[in-house]
Amino acid sequence: MERMHLPNGFTLRLSGRPAETLAAAPAPRQVAAVAARTRFLKPRLAVKVGDRVKTGTLLFSDKRRPELRFLSPGAGRVCAVNYGPRRSLQEVVIDLEEPEEAEAFPRLDEAGLAAIEPEALRRRVVEGGLWSLIRELPFREAAALDRRPPEVVVFLDHLEPFHPRPRVYLEGRIDRFRFGLRVLEKLSGRPPVVTACAGGTEGVEELKPFVSLVLEGRYPAHDPGVLLYRSRRRPEERQAWVLDGQDVLLLAELLQEGCYPTRRIIALGGPGAVSPEHLEVRLGAPLAGLIDGRAAGGERLRLVAGGVLTGARAEPGSFLALHEKALTLLPEGDRPGGLLEWMLPGRRKPSYSRAFLSSWKPAASYPMDCNRHGGVRACIQCAFCTRVCPVDILPQLTYKAVLAGETEEALAHGLLDCVECGLCSLVCPSKIELLETFQQAKAALREEMR
Amino acid sequence: MNPVRRFFDSHRHHFEPGGRFARFGFLYENIESVFFAPAAVTTAAPQVRDSLDVKRFMFLVIVALLPHYAFGVFNVGYQAHRAAGLTPEFFSVIGVGLKAVVPMVVVTYAVGYFWEALFATVRKHEISEGLFVSCALFPLTLPPTQPLWQVALGISFGIVIGKEIFGGTGRNFLNPALTGRAFLYFAYPAQTSGDAVWTLLLPGRSAPVDAFTAATPLSVAAVTESGTIPQAWAEAGYDLWTLFIGFYPDAIGASSTLLCIAGAIFLITVGVADFRIIAGDVLGILATAGAIRLLAGPGAAPYLLLDPWLHLMVGGAAFGIAYMTTDPVSAPALPRARWVYGFFIGALTVLIRVFNPAFPEGIGIAVLFMNCFAPLLDELEVRVRLKRRLSHVR
Repeated sequence: MERMHLPNGFTLRLSGRPAETLAAAPAPRQVAAVAARTRFLKPRLAVKVGDRVKTGTLLFSDKRRPELRFLSPGAGRVCAVNYGPRRSLQEVVIDLEEPEEAEAFPRLDEAGLAAIEPEALRRRVVEGGLWSLIRELPFREAAALDRRPPEVVVFLDHLEPFHPRPRVYLEGRIDRFRFGLRVLEKLSGRPPVVTACAGGTEGVEELKPFVSLVLEGRYPAHDPGVLLYRSRRRPEERQAWVLDGQDVLLLAELLQEGCYPTRRIIALGGPGAVSPEHLEVRLGAPLAGLIDGRAAGGERLRLVAGGVLTGARAEPGSFLALHEKALTLLPEGDRPGGLLEWMLPGRRKPSYSRAFLSSWKPAASYPMDCNRHGGVRACIQCAFCTRVCPVDILPQLTYKAVLAGETEEALAHGLLDCVECGLCSLVCPSKIELLETFQQAKAALREEMR
Repeated sequence: MNPVRRFFDSHRHHFEPGGRFARFGFLYENIESVFFAPAAVTTAAPQVRDSLDVKRFMFLVIVALLPHYAFGVFNVGYQAHRAAGLTPEFFSVIGVGLKAVVPMVVVTYAVGYFWEALFATVRKHEISEGLFVSCALFPLTLPPTQPLWQVALGISFGIVIGKEIFGGTGRNFLNPALTGRAFLYFAYPAQTSGDAVWTLLLPGRSAPVDAFTAATPLSVAAVTESGTIPQAWAEAGYDLWTLFIGFYPDAIGASSTLLCIAGAIFLITVGVADFRIIAGDVLGILATAGAIRLLAGPGAAPYLLLDPWLHLMVGGAAFGIAYMTTDPVSAPALPRARWVYGFFIGALTVLIRVFNPAFPEGIGIAVLFMNCFAPLLDELEVRVRLKRRLSHVR
C-alpha cells in the first residue's frame, strides 16, 4: 500500500464527534427530492402537486443537463413543491403511502457487469438518477457524460468534522462496495484509486485489499483534489472523477437491486448534538425528524447540512439532499461576548494561531459556535491563509486578483486547484470571506468555460 | 446584568437609525466592540470561524509593549534624577517619569483616535485596531522632552499620511508610527535629535550636572575617533550591562535590549511576529557590521571596528527589530521575501549608523525604506512560486 504525505491543512478541534454506533432514524411520513444546497442546479419540474409517484419516479431534472435526474425517494402523492428566494426550487415533497411501490430498473449481476457495454451502463446510472453522485474536478459538479476521466478517486475517510466513518457504512457491505468499484472501472475505463487516511480506515483488515493509497496529513488531506494537486502536473490530468465511499455503495445498490436506493447512513454530531452517533436514514427524510430529541436544549442551534467547514445552513423544515451525509448541530452564538473577553488568556478558545492559551493543549476539543468572533477588517497580511492552504494557493493575494477582475492572474495563482476546504476563511483574523470569493469566482469561470 | 452592558444597552437607541446620533452608529458599535465582542454570526461557509480576530492580534502587541512603558517611565525619571545630581528615589523617579510619559501617551491616543474616527466616519467603516498599536509604539520612540504639540503633529502625520490616505490599516505600505517619528525627525530636528533632548530636566534646571553624560551611546560611538567604542562607552559611564538593560538617555521606551528580546520572544510565541523578519534583521546587522569590520584596515575609525553584536545593544535597533519590522502590514507577506526584507533592514541600519554622520540611528529610516520595497519583494517571490506551481509534483 502506497503512502503519501500531504502538507499544510489544519484539523479542527471540534467537540461532538459522532460515536461509531449506528441507530435507526424514525420512519418519516414524508420524504422529498431536494434541489436546495445543490450547486449549479437549474431544475425543471417533471411532476405537479397531487401526482402519484413511485420510488424512483422522475421528479425534476436539470434544464441544461437532462442527464441529471432527481428521482423520488419514496412512493406516494406529491404534496408540495417548495420554492425559496427568487423562485428557486427547494424540494418536491412526497406524502408516503403504503404499500410503497418502486419503479423497476434492470438488475445487474457480476456476470452482467462483465458483459455490459460502458455506454449501456452509463445509461442505467443516468436513468437510475445517481449520475450526479459522480463529481468531477475542478468544479465538483456532476461529471460530464461524454468525457473519460484521467483518474477516478474514491475516498473512504473524510477528515472534515463530522462525516460517517467507513467502518460504519461499509459494515456488511464489502461485497457491494467491490461491485461498485467494478462499476466505476467499467464506466471510466480505469481502475479507481481508493484512498484511506492514516489513523482512519487504514488499519481495517477487510478493507486492505481495496485501499491503494494511504494519505497522511491534516484536513483536507482526504480530498482527492489535494492528492491530484500533489501528484499530477497538468490541469487536464486533475479533472478526475471523485466519489465518497458511501456513494459507491448507492451506485452498486441501484444496479444490483434494480431499484432506486432509499437509505443511507449519515453522521449526526457537533457541540449541539445530544449523544452524537451515526444514523441510518431515508434519503430525503425531513431534517426535523432526524434531529428530533438529539438537539441540546438551552441555546438556539444552527443545523448544518454537511460538515462545519464546507456544509450549508439548513432549515429544520428542509429535507436531506441526495449528496448529504452529515448533519451538524452548532450553537448559533448570536450574542455579544463577555466583558473584555478578548483580553483573557483564552483557555477554551480554539484557534489555528497561537494567540490563545488553548494552543498549548492541542489534543483537546472545543465546542465552537457560529459566531464570527470578530469584526470584518482589511487584510493585515498575517499569512495564516497561505500557511494553511493545502494546495499552495496564496489566498490573500489570489482573492485580491479575483476582486480586481484579474482572472488570468487568479488562475495562475491556482484558483482551479482550490479544493474549497474553507480553511482560509476559517483562520482569517480579518474575517474575510475568502472561500465565498473563490467559489463565486470558480462558478463564474465555469459559466465562461461552458 | 453587568453595569457596563447596561450602559451600552441603555444608550444604544441614540445611535440606531432615527436616533439623535444615527450617523455615528458605527462609532458606537466600535466603542461597544472594545468591551464586548460583536454578536455577528457567519452567513457563508465555513459555518465556524477561528477565535482570533484583528483586535486580539493587535492587542497582543500592546501587551508586549507594556513592559516598555513601565521601563520607560522609570528610566525617564531615573535619568532626570541623575542629570539633576539627585539620589534616584523610587517614588520620586516614577512620579517624574509618569508626568513626562502619560501626557504624551494621552495626546497620542486622543489625536490618533480623532483622525481614525474622522476617516472611519467619512468612509463609514469600523475603526481598525491597528491604530492602537501605532499609538502605543509612537511615544516609545520619542525623546521624553518632545513638546506635546509636536507629539500631536507627529502622530497626525503618521496616521493620516502614513495610513489613512491609503485606506487605513491593512492598506498602508509604510509603518504609521515610524512615519510620524520620521516626520518629527526631519521637521523638528532641534527637538528630536542632538544630545540634549534625551534627558528630561527637572523643573528649575537648565542643564545637567557636570558629572552626567547626556550623550547617547550612539552619539558617543559616532564621535569617537580613537581607542575603541566600548572604551568610549565605559568612559561615558555605559558598561555593557547598562547598555543591555537600557538605563541610559534615549527614546522613552526603546533603549532596553533585554525587554526587546523578551517582547520578540513573546510575539513569536503567540504567532504575531514572524521569526523570519527578526532573524533576517539580526543576520543583516551582524553580516554587514562584520563585513565592514573585515574590510576596514587597522587605523580605521573605531565605529567601523565595532563588534557586530554590539550594534544590537545600543539605540533603537532592538526595538525596531522587535516591533517595527515585524508589523505584518508594511512588511512583505511571503516567507522568503520576509527574510530578504529583514536582512536589508539590518544591513541598511548598520550602513546608516556607521557611514552617515547626519543620522546617529539608522533603523527607522531603514525600515521605512524597506517598507517601500516590500511589495516588490513579494512580487518577486510570487513569481518564483507561480513558476514552481507548474512543477510542484514530487
